[in-house]
Amino acid sequence: MKLTSRYEQTSCRLVVEGLPDLSAGQDSSTIGIVTGFSMGLAGHTDLEGQREHLQALLAAVIPYARHLLSAVPKAFGAADSPVAIEPSEGRHQLELRSRQPNTPPLKIVLDDAELSDLVRCLDQLRLDRRLAIPFELPELHPLSRNDLRHRQPLLRRVAAPLVGVATLLISASLLSLLPTPKAPVDVRLNRPTLALPR
Amino acid sequence: MADASVPLQTPLSRRGIERLDLMLLCAEALDLNGGEAMVWLSEEMGFTDLFPNRVELWKRRCSNPLRRNTRRAALKPEETDALIRILNALAERLYPMLRTLLSSAEPPELNQQRWDLFRGRLRELVQERLNPRRGGVQRLLDPGEGAELSRELVQAMALSAGEGGFERLRASLLDAAV
Repeated sequence: MKLTSRYEQTSCRLVVEGLPDLSAGQDSSTIGIVTGFSMGLAGHTDLEGQREHLQALLAAVIPYARHLLSAVPKAFGAADSPVAIEPSEGRHQLELRSRQPNTPPLKIVLDDAELSDLVRCLDQLRLDRRLAIPFELPELHPLSRNDLRHRQPLLRRVAAPLVGVATLLISASLLSLLPTPKAPVDVRLNRPTLALPR
Repeated sequence: MADASVPLQTPLSRRGIERLDLMLLCAEALDLNGGEAMVWLSEEMGFTDLFPNRVELWKRRCSNPLRRNTRRAALKPEETDALIRILNALAERLYPMLRTLLSSAEPPELNQQRWDLFRGRLRELVQERLNPRRGGVQRLLDPGEGAELSRELVQAMALSAGEGGFERLRASLLDAAV
């Protein structure tokens, strides 16, 4: 018997269809095998896909949301992945690539609210206990200094090293203006005291 | 995504606590009863052992280094986790409001009024509770940079709402200091 799970937010609707994997001992209300899924985004026609598309959607959007939460937007989705997402002029461009040859990718631009809706739907889906599907997602982890580097404006980042180098240069040029000390002269012999040994 | 990927006993940095308290302040700016809602949610979620009363909850929030009367005592991971859970629940309650603010489909003039109202309330709370000599507070009160920062905070709250929001927000608050 085919089972259906729906996840809805204001501008987003995800529907997963599947069957219980009875060979894995799942009960009849659990989806263990995905037979298809559809995604409806407000203002766009419904999109349909298979489990691999759903996996690619999760693998791109969930880490994207994680980075956005730390205010460091970053593109996700490899060139050969069916789904990619990247920041685009203050919005978020979702790119859905078809396996069919000569089919251009479908680009959907989401605003912040639409992206939040999509993220919430995907969260509900991946944490749904009725869906016993092991989605592969990168682990949630704190971002390193390197990841967060560009959160600081360039000027603020380079200010300290610039001031250091400038101080060194200025002090070196000022010191070079000072006269070099002459060797002390022995008044009686009228010759330098530090004469070379004979 | 593994829920236990961030070690449970990692304490938040000062910067993490600062951001967490600022987001709680945003929740208060969005909801006039936000302070009461926090106390109520804390009781409802079973955190009375950690925060027996509103004063104790308030004291924990005063670990934010930007506060006027900041406390140097470090927060325990279970206390910060409880505060993150409270924020997660507040973000869930306020999600329709957060969404409206972030939406580009709303009439621009109306949404500008909503932002002005929110920023006005946030400014009052910041001036009342935070130390105006701190650079972080001055940036929040700056007309240009403050608008950008408050949008970032609202967006972060929207992405922290719901079931997966807690783990995502906690990982973000544990980010390295820059």
